[in-house]
Amino acid sequence: MNQPKRSDEPIWWALFSAGGVCFAMVIPGLVLTLGLLYPLGLLPEAAFSYSRVQQLLQSFWGLAGLAFAGAAICLPLFHAMHRVHHGLHDLKLAQGRLAKIFCYGLANLLSAVAIVYSGIIA
Amino acid sequence: MEKTLIIQRYNPEQDQAPSAKRYQVPFDHSTSVLDALLYIQQQLDPTLAFRWSCRMAICGSCGVMVNKIPKLGCKTFLRDYPAELTISALDHFPIEKDLISDMAVFLDHLQAVKPYLINDSNSAEPHRQTPAQLKKYQKFSSCINCGLCYAACPQFGLNPEFLGPAAIVTAQRYNLDSRDQGKAQRMPQLNGKNGVWACTFVGFCADVCPKQLDPAAAVNQGKVASATDMLISIFKP
Repeated sequence: MNQPKRSDEPIWWALFSAGGVCFAMVIPGLVLTLGLLYPLGLLPEAAFSYSRVQQLLQSFWGLAGLAFAGAAICLPLFHAMHRVHHGLHDLKLAQGRLAKIFCYGLANLLSAVAIVYSGIIA
Repeated sequence: MEKTLIIQRYNPEQDQAPSAKRYQVPFDHSTSVLDALLYIQQQLDPTLAFRWSCRMAICGSCGVMVNKIPKLGCKTFLRDYPAELTISALDHFPIEKDLISDMAVFLDHLQAVKPYLINDSNSAEPHRQTPAQLKKYQKFSSCINCGLCYAACPQFGLNPEFLGPAAIVTAQRYNLDSRDQGKAQRMPQLNGKNGVWACTFVGFCADVCPKQLDPAAAVNQGKVASATDMLISIFKP
């Protein structure tokens, strides 16, 4: 048997794993605070004022904003698109290079938008 | 007391497609599916073909689908099923005849991962191993190559080039053995797209494994090993 080419999957799998951790640890807290408690008026209005949130994201030379975008948007995106990519394969809907470019391309694009936008806010 | 076995019959040289045939089989508390198949072959229909040997879940020959779940015939009992059971050849393999599947693909994959100790040292001394070193791979060494995990794996069903659970378990079994030096020779197979990365962690392989050796865990440990291997290859000149 000849030696197969090394798969680039470890990269996507690492991002998928990191995204899975974010989905488990970060997203539930965000859904609870931003999705439920805040809209229901159970948190003080001032806690989420634009200037306060901006200040928070600017801390540590803007790294806080970057970390937030990464943990709440970018890594979960890679996690989700990895599942979509493999789901497409499982359902025999799309296989090969095109599905991969579409899935991870979309995750890359939206991640870039999130990071640039978090930079603008900060 | 009798139960009905609905058995998939197929002779590729004569039949257009597999067909089902019903047999009435007497049973008691200790009648296994393999016993029932032997009864049919000896008493009712000598043309029925199936593979078997040890009758005690060691040889791994008598794998069949029982009600669409991969099982060892010798380790599956009629008492645990309702009045009718359907039995067919293992999924995802070509059928040679009736319940005999062609395992050649599996054996090729197994051979590809070099399933033996590789150690070039020519010392006459025994290769000593501590209980802790043994424990690292011992669980994975109980694979009997029955192929049930391949019949269970939907990814192998979609892509027969996938090395598959048992081959990866066996690769891990030797890679984790302190006496072995062949990891570098096995990793390229695991690193490829048909190696560990074709697995999506469905986990059905671990459910059906008659030796409960958790192939899904071995494959996912293999993913960590492959990712580490990639990282090292990037930083190594």
